[in-house]
Amino acid sequence: MSTKEADRNSSAQQTLDILYEISQLLNTQLDKATLATCIGMIENGVNPEALAAVIQELRREGAHSTGQSTTASHAR
Amino acid sequence: MASSIPHIESLVYACVPLARTDESLKNELVAHCQDILKSHIGHTTEMNYSQLVDVIKRRLLQLSPNGASASKFSNLVMRLVDQPVLTKKQEAVQFLSTLSTLNTHQSASITMPGLPRPSSGRPVAPTTHVEPSAGDWETTLSNAARLAEFRAQRGVALLNESLLVRDTLYLMQGISGKYVRFAISQASEKTLVFTSDSKAAISPSTQALVHRLAELGYLYSRIDAFVRERENAPGVGMIEQSLCHYLQTQLTEYYRLIAVLETQLSSTRSSTNRIPDISKEETGMSLRRLDVWVNEWRLRMRMMSVCVEGARDSHGGALVNLIHSYTDNGDPFVRKFTHELLEEVSRPFFATLHKWLFSGELYDPFEEFFVTADSSLGHIPYVHPSSLPGGINQLSGDPNSGLFNQDGEDISGLHESGQKLWETKYRFRKDMLPFCMDSDWVATREKMSNTSGSLSYGDIAGLEKSIDAAYQLASHRLFEVFIDKFKLLDHLSALKNFLLLGHGDFADQLMETLAPSLTRPANTLYRHNLTANLETAIRSSNAQRDSVDVLRRLDARILEYSHGEIGWDVFTLEYKVNAPIDTVLDHEAMEKYLKLFKHLWQMKRIQRALDKGWMRVTGDARSFIHLPGQYPYLSSCKSAELCHAELEPEWHKIRIVMTEMIHFIRQLEAYCRLEVIECSWKVLIDFLNKKEGDLDALIDAHRTYLDRTIKKVHLWHSKPGKEEVLLRQLLEIFGHILQFREATVRTIYESVSTQLTARQDNFYNYCLSRSALKDQAMDAERGVYTGAPQDAGAESEDALSGVLDRVREFGAAFSDRVQTLVHHLQVHPDLDCRFLGIRLSFSDYYRVKKEQQAGQKS
Repeated sequence: MSTKEADRNSSAQQTLDILYEISQLLNTQLDKATLATCIGMIENGVNPEALAAVIQELRREGAHSTGQSTTASHAR
Repeated sequence: MASSIPHIESLVYACVPLARTDESLKNELVAHCQDILKSHIGHTTEMNYSQLVDVIKRRLLQLSPNGASASKFSNLVMRLVDQPVLTKKQEAVQFLSTLSTLNTHQSASITMPGLPRPSSGRPVAPTTHVEPSAGDWETTLSNAARLAEFRAQRGVALLNESLLVRDTLYLMQGISGKYVRFAISQASEKTLVFTSDSKAAISPSTQALVHRLAELGYLYSRIDAFVRERENAPGVGMIEQSLCHYLQTQLTEYYRLIAVLETQLSSTRSSTNRIPDISKEETGMSLRRLDVWVNEWRLRMRMMSVCVEGARDSHGGALVNLIHSYTDNGDPFVRKFTHELLEEVSRPFFATLHKWLFSGELYDPFEEFFVTADSSLGHIPYVHPSSLPGGINQLSGDPNSGLFNQDGEDISGLHESGQKLWETKYRFRKDMLPFCMDSDWVATREKMSNTSGSLSYGDIAGLEKSIDAAYQLASHRLFEVFIDKFKLLDHLSALKNFLLLGHGDFADQLMETLAPSLTRPANTLYRHNLTANLETAIRSSNAQRDSVDVLRRLDARILEYSHGEIGWDVFTLEYKVNAPIDTVLDHEAMEKYLKLFKHLWQMKRIQRALDKGWMRVTGDARSFIHLPGQYPYLSSCKSAELCHAELEPEWHKIRIVMTEMIHFIRQLEAYCRLEVIECSWKVLIDFLNKKEGDLDALIDAHRTYLDRTIKKVHLWHSKPGKEEVLLRQLLEIFGHILQFREATVRTIYESVSTQLTARQDNFYNYCLSRSALKDQAMDAERGVYTGAPQDAGAESEDALSGVLDRVREFGAAFSDRVQTLVHHLQVHPDLDCRFLGIRLSFSDYYRVKKEQQAGQKS
């Protein structure tokens, strides 16, 4: 691994840290891995607001499904 | 977009763990996500980076007002900008921010379900109306949310706030709105009635807010009613008119505020849905915002309402006083407002004041400033309201202004003097202005109005200054008028010459002509005789050269007498003063002059009596009582020799005592004349010649002159309780001198009524009768019969001893008193009096005498 590559990695790490802090501050409830994925998507040209809507939707779905599963387990 | 599929998959896995096992669910979700991403969400917003950051910061500030998170955020953003890795930082931040807004909106939508979503037009909206079913959310449900749920169940919908705002704006103008209206039932007490429609319910907290705002409307309608009422009413005073004017101006300002608010409201209402919800939140009109806007106005309206209330009961100057009382307020807002108000309201008052100060006119067409008639002040029709305690007279501290007394201490005293001055000035105006209306006066007035300018409430210092200036100018002018026109100096010197016996020849002549009649009992005196005598005295002295005006005022008068008093006690000269100059020579001063005259006249009388007596004692006694003794060859008569030998030493003693008396009275007179009257007079004349100062100073100077004179002439002692001790002693001494003289020599005409007995009761007459007897005897010896020989030897011996006893007694008493007086004078606080003591007891005569007496006694 060349020094350039290492620099790049560390600065990427730093940037991710900063963004994570901001997301903490704004109370987005994203974990670091998801945030990295999202940032990557945005870098690829995804519309940020649309992405936010996706996250929102997925969360809702997730909550729904876990709710279902728990009720299912209760039923069992 | 195909490249983003793995990313989406990982997202799906992260958010929905169930999807890892359920392939179909995963595929469904991924497809759904792709749909969303392909949609037009977010394409409408165009925001640059700094704008975005600002918006986020503001939201952070709202969430945590201490600003810590906001500053932390800006710090992070700065660091992010420095990072080279990312190319789409703005988008990244926007992503985070949108995500966070979606989160918070979710909770906001919980608290205010009754209100339409402000961003309802946005396609994202449906996703935000997520019913919080997850247990995670259940726990965070607030009371407000529960209430909202309850309402939703009951089908009660809250009224749109913007509608309420509109209504409130109406309420603030005193007009009933659509949902909230004023109750019409009670006439004065206005209560709000809220609409009871369940579709448009108003929560109690909002109702309280509306109540607060509606107070303005209530106050407004009161003030407005007052202004209208006064506008139409006839005979409204100037103060009230200006109050109405000020209120009207304020109301116009208020209208302006309402107009601005209304514009604001309509602009928010008409704004399109495209405006992002954040900026709408910034500019939109809410009840709370309205409350903040009108907060200051509420205070103002309250103040105005209080003034309106006050104006119902009071009137004119009292109203100004009332408003003025509010200026003593710790609240700077109230103070400022009252100050502005007073500035307007007091203008008519100051205009009147100005007129009165500078042209002496009391112009008060609506009877606003002069409120009570005070009969005790007779010639003054009104008492100024400033004389009411705690009134506007506390504006200024200059008691000379006669109007204002600011310092709280001794208000009544200042006030009294102020009122006195005012009275005096009023009298001037009445009495003197007719005299003063000449060209000079016009010039003076011109000068005064140049210095004054206009008066106003804000410029109290200027007001004081202009009052002072005007007062000084007018006063100076008065001073000149007094000196030039009314010849005050002539009157003063006339008083000095006549009443203070400055004209010696006149006083002597008067004494000469009056003395015979003054020895008679007071009830036998007639005024016309006295005036005739006075006339004679004037004619025969240099006083005849005085001006007619002065002599005209001179008059002789008999004071009120009681039984047993003789003419000397009741006679007085009088100098009549009339209107203008009696300001300076007021009643009090004239009484002092009379007092002084009485004292000096008595001194003069004693001096004259002693002079006459001395002539008798030295001249007459020598010429015909001692005559026989000087021709011893003729005095073969035993009794004659006895007479001479016996009586010569007595005569000598009498002469010594009399010299002492003469010394005493001469020194006293010289002291009164030279050291008291003339010195005081010089001070007064110096003051008058300077021509500086005003009328007050003139009156003061004259008063000082008189006080000084009377105190020193009466040998006034400054120690309390001892003031008149020396005067009493002096009067006693005078009494003894008179008694002594009576016992020694008494002129024939002084004892006309008791001629026969008087023959024997004083020493001179006794000697006279003895020498007559002696002559008779001698004549008989020579064989000439001159009358029946009287043998009164034995009884005349008794009479002689009685007479001599009395003479000695009075002489000794006199000497004693003088000794005491001198003793007192030597420790007198006043230096002049002390010098008098030294001169009376020249070369320590009385001390030596005292020591001798002490030596004799021991």
